[in-house]
Amino acid sequence: MNQNQFDLAALIAAWEPAREQLSIQVEHLNHYYGEGEMRKQVLFDNCLKIRQGEIVIMTGPSGSGKTTLLTLIGTLRSVQEGSLQVIGSELNGVSAGNTTELRKKIGFIFQAHNLFESLTAFQNVSMSTELQGIASDLARPRIEATLRRLGLGQRVHYKPKSLSGGQKQRVAIARGIIHEPRLILADEPTAALDAESGREVVTIFQELAREQNCTILIVTHDNRILDVADRIINMVDGRIHSNVLVKRNATLCQILNGFPIFRDLTPQAISQVADKIAMRRYPTGSEIIRQGEMGQEFFVIGSGDVDIEVDGVQVNTLSQGAFFGEVSLVKQQPRNATVRARTEVVCFLLSKDEFQSVLDSSTTFEEELRKAIFSRQ
Amino acid sequence: MKTPVPLAWKNLTHDRRRLAVAVGGIAFAVLLMFQQRGFNHALFDSTVEIVRELDCDLIMVNPARFALTNEIRFPGSWLEVAGSQSGVDSAEPLFMENLAARLRQDGKRARPIRVLGFNLDRPVLLDSRREILSQINELREPNTALIDRLSKSSYGFELAANAEFPQLGELNGNRIRLIGTFQSGRDFAHEGNLLMSAENFATYFRYRGPDPLSLVDLGLVKVGAGASTEQVLRSLRATLANNVAVMTRQQFIDKEIAFWARNTPIGVIFLIGTLMGFVVGVIICYQILANDIAEHLGEFATLKAMGYGNKFFFALVIRQAVYLGLLGFIPGLFFSWLLFEFNAGMTGLLMQMSIPRVVTILLATLSMCVVSGLLALRKLLAADPASLF
Repeated sequence: MNQNQFDLAALIAAWEPAREQLSIQVEHLNHYYGEGEMRKQVLFDNCLKIRQGEIVIMTGPSGSGKTTLLTLIGTLRSVQEGSLQVIGSELNGVSAGNTTELRKKIGFIFQAHNLFESLTAFQNVSMSTELQGIASDLARPRIEATLRRLGLGQRVHYKPKSLSGGQKQRVAIARGIIHEPRLILADEPTAALDAESGREVVTIFQELAREQNCTILIVTHDNRILDVADRIINMVDGRIHSNVLVKRNATLCQILNGFPIFRDLTPQAISQVADKIAMRRYPTGSEIIRQGEMGQEFFVIGSGDVDIEVDGVQVNTLSQGAFFGEVSLVKQQPRNATVRARTEVVCFLLSKDEFQSVLDSSTTFEEELRKAIFSRQ
Repeated sequence: MKTPVPLAWKNLTHDRRRLAVAVGGIAFAVLLMFQQRGFNHALFDSTVEIVRELDCDLIMVNPARFALTNEIRFPGSWLEVAGSQSGVDSAEPLFMENLAARLRQDGKRARPIRVLGFNLDRPVLLDSRREILSQINELREPNTALIDRLSKSSYGFELAANAEFPQLGELNGNRIRLIGTFQSGRDFAHEGNLLMSAENFATYFRYRGPDPLSLVDLGLVKVGAGASTEQVLRSLRATLANNVAVMTRQQFIDKEIAFWARNTPIGVIFLIGTLMGFVVGVIICYQILANDIAEHLGEFATLKAMGYGNKFFFALVIRQAVYLGLLGFIPGLFFSWLLFEFNAGMTGLLMQMSIPRVVTILLATLSMCVVSGLLALRKLLAADPASLF
């Protein structure tokens, strides 16, 4: 269980975004194209919070609005309805001058490399450092180092004509990241690359996220790079269809898998549970459920110990991996006991409905529960 | 905004073939403008060239004569009046025939020619003075004349430097012996010049009256040593009143040019021609710049997304336009110069390329490119970075 203890700490950190700075905050964002009768809504009441330093992969069919959302976040389109905050600035009603300033803090990597054929790789990247006002003697080693890191050390002074498609794309990536932006917006950055250079690019993204706490938002259909995502957002018909913290869920699945009650669940069932599960912390001595109330949630103890009290008398102590609260849900009865945190406790919760749906979908889970309930009586 | 990466220059010179076409286009527009301005100046310069050569300080002319080609004359007696004024050294007549004089060589068609008649004691043309003086004795003989070396070759006379004289021809049906040459130049109205004594002039143009020399075309006044031209001008004007106009050579030249420029469509025609050259240049330059922008729309939109502002793009396009203008001007100037030489040889017109005129065309070329740059800028500002995703 020590392994679980360790993971849990990471999990708790990943779970509580409120304490960390938000890079992107989308609230009730609507967007329309066209005027008058031709007006067509393309984004519907979208809400999204992305923390600084997250790597987010956005997927969805074409026409799902992901590109519109990306251009709105990139200040390339003006916000019509709702609130959109990027790197601490509200974009609804922002002035053109501020937009230009904001854009300098963002790194753009487009699907097309958009390099000037007349400029060398070095000069193309210089267009970015010059705009940022980085002195050329400071910029020179930085540009060379970045190009070297992207495997273009021998191609620094080549023009795009003499570069392969993948090399051109890497120059464009160098241009997008050279000024150490706070936010990188990338559209299919690996589409033109072979597996190896694609991997190299996402590794650089990961390093940027880790070392410079840079937020990276990638629109991609490239399955090979899904593993770098902290969060995967799926958009359908102008709405965020799913928004999953994949890293968190992977850790969570691992933890849940360590608990007897979930041990025999299929990987799909576990990840279904992980999708729906919530986490809550309880300080020592606090009441988790109270005898006599109608139960709304099912609890699994992630860490710490709890006391079970019936009519004010302690009858049992449960620790990590144990669960409680199921009787009230299954039998539609009031809580038959009070549960109090004996130490500081972290619990995973499933709401009544979600508990029921997991129960319906998994016979093993149901069996486990019945056995447990039976043994407890 | 200054950029150490010379993007404007790099973009312009990247595609050598297209640059060559672009420079060719601009050079063509420059050539057009030079040609039109050149012809325009040539018209004026050539027309007044004869006036520049006249050996005089002041010119007397009938006040109603609005141009040299307008054959309104004044009585020669006014020359005597002028000549008797204090401060006047001499007042000599110049006789001109523009419209009625026809010169032909045997077997050729008769062609109009300008004939100048003068008092042999006073050779009136400064530039050819020595040449005329050396042949003055032969000019005293009847039916003799000097022919302008720059006269059109279609008269049929041999006018090269090593040509042999005399050559025979007919002037208004009467025999004429061309005993040598002098040099003046053609203009739009005159294909050549003959110079002869007043006496001979009288025999060829009897229709001018019982005394063909009683009416003079121009009076050439020389101011005596020590006298002020300004004062002589004033006293002559007072004496001659409304009968004869007196003016300095420069005033005469200005009046002549003003007539051609304002009262004839010629000035307007050349102005339109010049504007056409300008417009052609704007169109060519715009095409080149707009094409360049259209081809790099993705790149420019990327720069916009990166945070480059409109000021940058403005400077970029203007810089590109100015480079293009300068690059096109140099070959344009060279070919214009060649063409001027060729034209001068062909037409005998004065095709002069002075520094102020070259500077004028250079400024026109640059403004032409800047105008098209500004037109093309709209296309660039419309580049939408949102379309990149």
